[in-house]
Amino acid sequence: MKKIDTHTHLPGTRLGAPPRPIAEIRGEFEGDGLVGAWIMTVDGLILDANRGNDELASAVKDHQDFFVPFCTVNPHHGAEAAIRELERAKHELGMRGLKLHPWLQSFSMSHPAIPQILRRAGELGMPVLFHDGTPPYSTPLQIASVAEMVPETKIILGHAGLDDLYKDAINACLRHPNIHLCCCSLSCGYIEEIIRRCPVERLLYGSDGGFGAGLVPSAIDKILAVCDDERILRSIFYDNPQDVLPLA
Amino acid sequence: MKTIDSAVCLPCEDGVPQVNGLLQQMDEWSVSHAVVAPSDELVAVYNEAGNGRIVEVVRGHPDRLSGLAVANPWYGAKAVTILQSAFEQGLIGLYLHPGRQGFHLTDEIVDPLVEACIAHDKPIYSHTGTPICAMPFQLAELAARHPKATFVMGHSAWSDFCGYDVIPAAGQAGNILVETSCTTGNFLRRLISEIGAERVVFGSAYPRSRYRHEINKITRLGLSSEILEKVMCENAKRLWKIVSV
Repeated sequence: MKKIDTHTHLPGTRLGAPPRPIAEIRGEFEGDGLVGAWIMTVDGLILDANRGNDELASAVKDHQDFFVPFCTVNPHHGAEAAIRELERAKHELGMRGLKLHPWLQSFSMSHPAIPQILRRAGELGMPVLFHDGTPPYSTPLQIASVAEMVPETKIILGHAGLDDLYKDAINACLRHPNIHLCCCSLSCGYIEEIIRRCPVERLLYGSDGGFGAGLVPSAIDKILAVCDDERILRSIFYDNPQDVLPLA
Repeated sequence: MKTIDSAVCLPCEDGVPQVNGLLQQMDEWSVSHAVVAPSDELVAVYNEAGNGRIVEVVRGHPDRLSGLAVANPWYGAKAVTILQSAFEQGLIGLYLHPGRQGFHLTDEIVDPLVEACIAHDKPIYSHTGTPICAMPFQLAELAARHPKATFVMGHSAWSDFCGYDVIPAAGQAGNILVETSCTTGNFLRRLISEIGAERVVFGSAYPRSRYRHEINKITRLGLSSEILEKVMCENAKRLWKIVSV
């Protein structure tokens, strides 16, 4: 079965995973059975967002058939500057989605720039993948409160609430048709409940791959441990990512 | 290689722990023995009923299962009585879940239960990883306050704390062992390297997680057989004094 991983990272100088050549990461992912991966910056979430976008775009430029790059922006620069960077990332760098990480980037979902940034991302056809599951800034319902303001923008909860807040993520998904859940880094039993309760067409598979070997097969194991329905598995692993952002 | 699972919360239906699914999974993945605790309302409120049902389950499968007792610290002196009764009936340690039971690990209301565990030479397993009440440094604080007790940091405090607080917290208190479930294989490799394989015990967190993921993530690490035996079996056998494995 073809698999697209919707939550991977380009390791950089932060968070412990050392930088690696993109070809090596691609080889690892292909060896794990992936046919594509959405990929996001690490350094750009912690250091300089714009520079992180440049580095990611440069890394994947010869691998556009496999990687779907997500840019980031810094909401603290204000809506105007953040949207300017979003547009640069889209039109000049070829980025296809937006990644935001409220706790690493130190912003609240109540920051006044957020609705404008998300609205513009939707207009540009860029889904927005959030880190979620972590209080005090990154809870599913905080993100859902803004998702409601931008119904045309696809919002992805990048960790489906993690283990402590997955029930909030389920509620957010059920209430807001623009919210998708990426089953990344939460436990099997909770993934099982998400699959049982949420619209399957809005579920995605992700691994946080790129931070080290073993993450991709472990994340695949988690889903296969609790679901053997081929139709559902095909939706989560391949059809849904292709619906949201088809591989180039 | 034999495997002891130190982290199971038996799922309940109508307040009755369900053991058949666990035993089936244990057979499928060659898990020799599991240490099981109650779950849900049996942890939060109905502790005596929960302990009684775990005693029944363990007596039905003495070679495969051992049991942990629950006693909500908010019951005060009654909680100690509940715990001592459970130990007399054969349960082998205390299971704490600060989030479910509504207390902070640093709150002194848990001290009488810890002291009872010391008196009975029983380890204490605590769920960790949930802010604001069950964080690694909070367990380290409790462990430092009770150096004669032995604690297990449940689920390697899995959440965004992984890799940040777990290792330094374990470094603050040598009477803490760390249980492997829910976290990543890469983190476990670093954990074993930094705190020593002797302080790491395998757990599945069933039904929150599954053996397929929890065992594979460890076997993929390419650890030596000596380290694997410690993590998967020997440390837990010594910790819980399991004689049937």
